Amino acid sequence: MTRYLNLYWYFLIQRLKVLMEYRLSFILGASSTIVWQASSIAAVWIVMQKVPSLNGWNYDEVLLVYGLVTLSKSINHMFADNLWTLGRIYIRSGGFDRFLVRPIDPLFHLLADRFCQDGVGNFLVGLALVIKSSVDLGIDWTPSKLLVLIVGIVSGGFIFIALNLITCVSAFWIVDSVPVTRLVFDNHLFAQYPLSIYPKAIGILLTWVIPYGFASFYPASYVLGRDVGNIAWFGPFVAAFLLFIGYRFWQFGLKYYSGTGT
Amino acid sequence: MTVIEVKQLTKVFKIPKKEPGLSGAVKGLFHPQFQNKTAVNEINFQLDAGEIVGYIGVNGAGKSTTIKMLTGVLMPTSGSIEVLGRDPHKQRVDNAHDIGVVFGQRTQLWWDLALIESLNLIAKIYDVHPVKYKLMLDQFTETLELDELLKIPVRNMSLGQKMRSELAAALIHAPHVVYLDEPTIGLDLIVKERIRDFIKAQCISKEMTVILTTHDLGDIEELCQRVIIIDDGRIIYDGPIETIKKRFGKFREITFETVEDVKKLDLPNGTEMLSTDDHKVQIRFDRTVSTASKVAAAVMNQIEVRDFSLSEPELSDIVKQIYNGALEREAR
Amino acid sequence: MIRTARRNLSVYSAILAMIPKQFMAYQLWFWISLVLSVISMAILVYFWRAIYANTSTISGLAQNQTINYILLAFIFMPLTSNDLIWEFGSNLREGTIIHHLLRPINFQGMNYAQMLGGLLTRLILQIPMAVVAVFIFGLRFPTDLSTWLAFLVSALLGFTVMFFFNWFLACFTFYTTEIWGLGVLVDGMTFFLSGALVPLVMMPEWIRNIVLSIPFAQALAVPVSLLTGITPLSDAPLVWFIQVLWILGMWIISTLFFRVAVRKITVQGG
Repeated sequence: MTRYLNLYWYFLIQRLKVLMEYRLSFILGASSTIVWQASSIAAVWIVMQKVPSLNGWNYDEVLLVYGLVTLSKSINHMFADNLWTLGRIYIRSGGFDRFLVRPIDPLFHLLADRFCQDGVGNFLVGLALVIKSSVDLGIDWTPSKLLVLIVGIVSGGFIFIALNLITCVSAFWIVDSVPVTRLVFDNHLFAQYPLSIYPKAIGILLTWVIPYGFASFYPASYVLGRDVGNIAWFGPFVAAFLLFIGYRFWQFGLKYYSGTGT
Repeated sequence: MTVIEVKQLTKVFKIPKKEPGLSGAVKGLFHPQFQNKTAVNEINFQLDAGEIVGYIGVNGAGKSTTIKMLTGVLMPTSGSIEVLGRDPHKQRVDNAHDIGVVFGQRTQLWWDLALIESLNLIAKIYDVHPVKYKLMLDQFTETLELDELLKIPVRNMSLGQKMRSELAAALIHAPHVVYLDEPTIGLDLIVKERIRDFIKAQCISKEMTVILTTHDLGDIEELCQRVIIIDDGRIIYDGPIETIKKRFGKFREITFETVEDVKKLDLPNGTEMLSTDDHKVQIRFDRTVSTASKVAAAVMNQIEVRDFSLSEPELSDIVKQIYNGALEREAR
Repeated sequence: MIRTARRNLSVYSAILAMIPKQFMAYQLWFWISLVLSVISMAILVYFWRAIYANTSTISGLAQNQTINYILLAFIFMPLTSNDLIWEFGSNLREGTIIHHLLRPINFQGMNYAQMLGGLLTRLILQIPMAVVAVFIFGLRFPTDLSTWLAFLVSALLGFTVMFFFNWFLACFTFYTTEIWGLGVLVDGMTFFLSGALVPLVMMPEWIRNIVLSIPFAQALAVPVSLLTGITPLSDAPLVWFIQVLWILGMWIISTLFFRVAVRKITVQGG
């Protein structure tokens, strides 16, 4: 385990060295995500100047939800972005075989091979939004609220990664897994706003099927003192469950790949 | 000491049968049909430590399938493989520590990293002891002349530089078994020579075992004492290069330089005229039917010959014959 | 112009029909991108419905007007596409620009026809999501012919404004290779600056003035406002006039910048 941590750190350092060389791209990449987010938030701000309530949530409360999902998303964006490229870049070219010939876990290798700097933009935006909204809302921080928040962000990040993993495994069969991953990933956009504004079906989708809701809505509800019940604490269990499924599915895909050689 | 042992190794692929056209594609979606393709069919061979073996065959013969199974990437359908006492698929990680692989077309180095950074990272991945690493690095820097290359990223390297770097990367962790797939492809003669010399030297000193798959028969002739030929999933030859040349090198060529242009010649049995132009006549004869002196005498009786030369059988011709089924004909 | 569009269409459909496997992959992506569009539209619709939960009008707009506007802006997004910038970037890299300049046809005109063809193809591909919008989200297209006419004229004018503006931006590719980064930044801003996220009338005046002083809104917000009736038909001539002024302005600066940029590569070699 420590060996893998050391190794990851080394991969990361190397990657950062490369990124520093391409400084302009680095900055543009990080800024482009910031610009995208700023556009959406500006729109929300303008609208909520006129109508201060979104289904009972005020502007800062909406920002908290938005910020939390962005923060969770950024964890996936920074550390697991390479999953998207499994098919298009590694399997299509045969480069994945190199991973199988090295004495480390191929999934680890795939993840460690590329830290994505664009995710840093998302991280900064998410962090800024969560901090700004918390301060403006004057939340009374109890230890349990703080815990829910941190647990929510971390487990949210793992939920994103797990769903990303589950969908990218399709690359072992169809090579281009990007459309499949997009199909699931884009649903996180629902979670940018409080789930209560959507019809029940969507709420169920985002809680029990593609559970991005645990990255933003449930932790936010708890922190804001809204009555959500114990579901606010389910995040880590959902994340663990999905990661388990994701890894088993990955092993299944790997077995298929080594059986057919694509 | 046996390093690689392959017993009754078989790989069968299920290939989807595709019908042409749009309706075929739709049918394929709902009722996919499969057919079995046996890429590797119950092959057997053994490699001892220190051997350099050439593994050759036409495209689609089963070469890369075999190598993929040996390296642990592909799971066999049946049969067994033992590399250094391990099953390469079941004990993938342990096996990986002891092997080095060069895929001729695809580099394992990181595109944007300076060579030295790539090597450092690889050394970390393979858990090479720092002292050992420094030793290997110094040695390779000298023998492969990597001094100026260490600071350059792969993307800025020429093909020859890339290949030298690739070899260093594959061997930096001192593997006992090395798989080289097309290591000299696209390289000019001088670089090829250097690389061949390097590989030879490594094997003498390191007790390294090498399997070389390549279409470049010059590599084979230079490096390998033993050749395994695979065709249509089966091994059709496994033995020294010399034997092949002797057994199948039954054709020889004599090139005559003539005073006048020759149109036609009366030739003895087992001979054929390959070409005639520009005061040169090429004649090929079957050693088992005729002799060099018989052919030379026949030709010189008919025309005035200024000079002539006799050529040895080329491995590529021999291999071509074997590909064309000469072995089977021989056996009959 | 129409010939180019028709040619584009028939080429695309011929390719689609001839290659089964790619056709199948296209099918997958087609359905998936439709789902992705539905997700985006759903979020927009439910967001606005929640906003209007306790209000009947915002800035004089009723819920159905706003939602119509937002959905139509989403569907007509292709009007703001900046393919030209990417084309220039790749053309330059392949050195084909010089060839184009040597030919006796109008370079700008040829590109315009190409972009227009691309636009029409894209709009046709938007039809499925328009159908979904009508049946699931309650989008109402106007039935009045004169409204449609006014919209079409305005859309074409707005598209032309964007064409020249993109031409101007594309000239930067002659000076820098980092066009990818700039392109992505512009993309990020277009969404908001085109007026797709919020109807112009709802913006505070200072923001509205900024947005109206940049060309993006002319391509999307302006025509779609006509289509939804937010801008009354009687204002159409004025709207068109302003768009024509924009076209003139953009045409002038783009042509000038282009001439300067071309001189740079023919003199310096790029």
